[in-house]
Amino acid sequence: MSIWIGAMQKHLEGHKGLTDHNDIVRVDAGKFVYIPLMSMFSTNIEVLVKEGDSVKVGTMIAKRSDHMTVPFFSSVSGKVVGKQTIMHAVLKPLEHLVIENDGLYEKEQPFSPIDFEKATREELVDFMMNAGIVGCGGAGFPTYMKYKNPQNISTLIINAVECEPYITADYREISNNIDDLVLGVKAMLKLSTAKEAWIAIKSPKKELIAKVRAALVGVSGIVVKEVPDVYPMGWERTLVYQLLKKRYDRLPSEIGCIVNNATTAIAFAKAIRTGMPIVEKTLTFSGNGIKTPANVSVPVGVKTAEIVAKLGGYASEDVLLIAGGPMMGKTIPNDQFVVTPYGNAVTILKTEKIDSVACLRCGRCNDTCPAGLLPVRINNAEQAADLDTIVKLRADQCIECGLCTYVCPSKLDVAEGVRRAKRILQLKKK
Amino acid sequence: MKFTFRVSPNYRDQLSTGRIMRDLTIGLGVIYAFALAYYFTQYSSNYGIHALGLMATSLIVAFITEVAFAYFTKKKIKSHLLGSYPWVTAIILTLMVPIATSYFALGFGTFFAIFFGKLVFGGFGQNIFNPAAAGRAAMLASFAGVAVTDITTSATPTASIAQLGWMIDKPEAVTKFLDQFGGLQNMFLGLYPGALGETSKVLILVVMVFLIIRKVIDWRIPVFYLSTVFVLASLIAVSKGMGFWYPLFHLSTGGLVFGAVFMATDPVTNPTSASGRTLFAIGLGILTVLIRVKANLPEGVLYSILLMNMLTPSIELLTDGWQIKNVKKYAISFASLSLIGILLVFGVSTTMSYKAPVVPEEPTITLGDPVGIFSDETALAPASVTDKVVDGDITTLTVSSKGYAMLQDDHSEDPQPNVLIVKIDTVKQEIVSVAYATFSDTPNIGDKTKDEKFLDQFAGLSIVDEAAEVDVVSGATNTSVSVARAVRAAIEAVLAQ
Repeated sequence: MSIWIGAMQKHLEGHKGLTDHNDIVRVDAGKFVYIPLMSMFSTNIEVLVKEGDSVKVGTMIAKRSDHMTVPFFSSVSGKVVGKQTIMHAVLKPLEHLVIENDGLYEKEQPFSPIDFEKATREELVDFMMNAGIVGCGGAGFPTYMKYKNPQNISTLIINAVECEPYITADYREISNNIDDLVLGVKAMLKLSTAKEAWIAIKSPKKELIAKVRAALVGVSGIVVKEVPDVYPMGWERTLVYQLLKKRYDRLPSEIGCIVNNATTAIAFAKAIRTGMPIVEKTLTFSGNGIKTPANVSVPVGVKTAEIVAKLGGYASEDVLLIAGGPMMGKTIPNDQFVVTPYGNAVTILKTEKIDSVACLRCGRCNDTCPAGLLPVRINNAEQAADLDTIVKLRADQCIECGLCTYVCPSKLDVAEGVRRAKRILQLKKK
Repeated sequence: MKFTFRVSPNYRDQLSTGRIMRDLTIGLGVIYAFALAYYFTQYSSNYGIHALGLMATSLIVAFITEVAFAYFTKKKIKSHLLGSYPWVTAIILTLMVPIATSYFALGFGTFFAIFFGKLVFGGFGQNIFNPAAAGRAAMLASFAGVAVTDITTSATPTASIAQLGWMIDKPEAVTKFLDQFGGLQNMFLGLYPGALGETSKVLILVVMVFLIIRKVIDWRIPVFYLSTVFVLASLIAVSKGMGFWYPLFHLSTGGLVFGAVFMATDPVTNPTSASGRTLFAIGLGILTVLIRVKANLPEGVLYSILLMNMLTPSIELLTDGWQIKNVKKYAISFASLSLIGILLVFGVSTTMSYKAPVVPEEPTITLGDPVGIFSDETALAPASVTDKVVDGDITTLTVSSKGYAMLQDDHSEDPQPNVLIVKIDTVKQEIVSVAYATFSDTPNIGDKTKDEKFLDQFAGLSIVDEAAEVDVVSGATNTSVSVARAVRAAIEAVLAQ
């Protein structure tokens, strides 16, 4: 909060109690799993298996190989059936590789475990690339890209904030894998060349903080940093500003830090120890639209419908089925989308009527925008088709965190207006 | 099974525009309740009822205007009303007028506020000017007499200091001036008559804290507006050698605190960015002080709000952009505006001077029809001589004569006769002088007969001239006759010797 700009953040009611202490429900794959052939919106992916090939858990089945390398692995053992286009959690129909599950879960190590302490930095980066470690915070950015060529990095920030309401998957994953977290962070610290790693956890999560601190006794260079319970504290820029009081233009490396998700560190640690990639995910299925909210442990490629059925089904005839948390997740008009290596939640809410009234120009969206934009002004400019003003207002900097819509007392879809403005800018670039 | 598609986010804050307006209504209600309590207890129930009637008038006119608008523009009446919040404008406008305002004037102001202030711009959210401010300005322009003249209330603190040129540099005059209103403390408490809801600064500030905590209003506007007025008034105080009372007086007088809390914070008509609202508030402070001390209007709050409303679009353009990259620009704008304010007010303060209050002249009486000392009129209700002192040629008589209060007005409790001293020269046989010993007749009317112009007529009248007469005081015939009656009784007492 300053005189000039508002708070740029907001405490949200988290509803985390619905799922944070329940048992994790194990959901097996059904007859088929569907591996989405997409990485960071790129579908430039080479499939390495043919129809009829036998695969095992861990078999590399496809690879993205343009300017980034991202391998894809089978999450079950069985037979490749072919390709099918189904709805993906990004709200786009995409090609998926269909594998028939034989139910045996026979494993195959696609790569060997590595002793990260002995390995050179370069070997470790290659290992990370080949293990297909991607950002587990939701975007799926190939993690090795951040460590390829680190320069003047002083701090590694491990993001264990999990600021979206309802989601507790990371919390459970970290609680249950503290040793892997420490191992993963140590390895990442080596990769980053930074002096210190800070694990950022929201201050109300006292139990978790105590657990992590206990595991860090005797470990030098890794500390826990408590951060306030506000949204979007998990966004890289907000988190970096909170911890370092510095802003950057494009990448956090400009001011000497690398940010990675805590569950990414855990996945990395598992790969280091076991030689296995991400083939299973812990996801939160929560909200008032599902009978029994829970965290589930499920192979990649299982359809949402199967998981919901396992949890007792929907609690309403009309729901909003959201891939992710309610703030940034998109509503998907069917429940056929599948678990991805980078997804961490499905939020299911009863559809409720929203009565919107005219904008009263209160400016709450402007004061709360974590990117420091002026959403109501962008909306006005978009409605007036005033391209110059949209450019001036930097609509391109919107990360679609949704806070402007959240705070709007008139219940308007402010974020959608900014999204439209962004699209206008993108079209203009082309 | 239905999977509804909706754009993200699908999570909303509890805070709604409806709740904001409800909290605002509660805050205004508290202020209005104070006004009602004040007029019912400190004046009479007639005034309290008038205050109730004013509110009812404004609310009814506001709703009728909105319903008619919805009907003629073919909108659904219920949803139009729920999204238009006419009662907020009506309440604010009512709280801005003094108790003596006529229903008609307030009804007109309300119609203007709702229709021309809001609906013609496209309704709630589209208006450029604060509707209540627009309505009040229209009332002041059209009904200056009706809206402002007030038989119960003496001049307001604002009007009083405006007559003195908005400054008093003589310490003894300051105390005397402030004491008229019970001192600064009383002005902050609001126990003096003024606009219905504008007097109690303390109560308004308490409501302000509630509204800020409830996130109904942005703290920046009242804080920066009031601070700017305080700083600029202090500057004038320093440059003119006035004390700390001066900036405090600025804060405690007129509609400043009310306007800062309830009108300048109107989100529709102020900028949407935090930096913009800060500039807006400073602009308000500068204009308010300038209008007060230099313009031809007694009060600057209303017009500074309307003027800054006009500048809102320009402020928005100034603050547009990527906020985190604009901080320097915001700071420069803030500093420049503050500097302009300081220089302007300082410059203006050098031209200010104390205008000593003009002592009002005694009202002059006019004489009307003559009345004979020995006429039939003086024969009625004869006066009685209660004392007689003879000192050589001069006989001094004390005469008790029933005046208007005793003879005509049966409303006064326990009316007393007027007592006059009549001196007669028994040698020259003429009246020397007539004067009041005690006056017990109607104030402001009968006491016109104390005027020398009337009493001096008696001196030199012959006591034996049956046709002797004096002219009565216009508007005080009865009391004049009672004086003549006393003189007749005195003459008769002397002649009877």
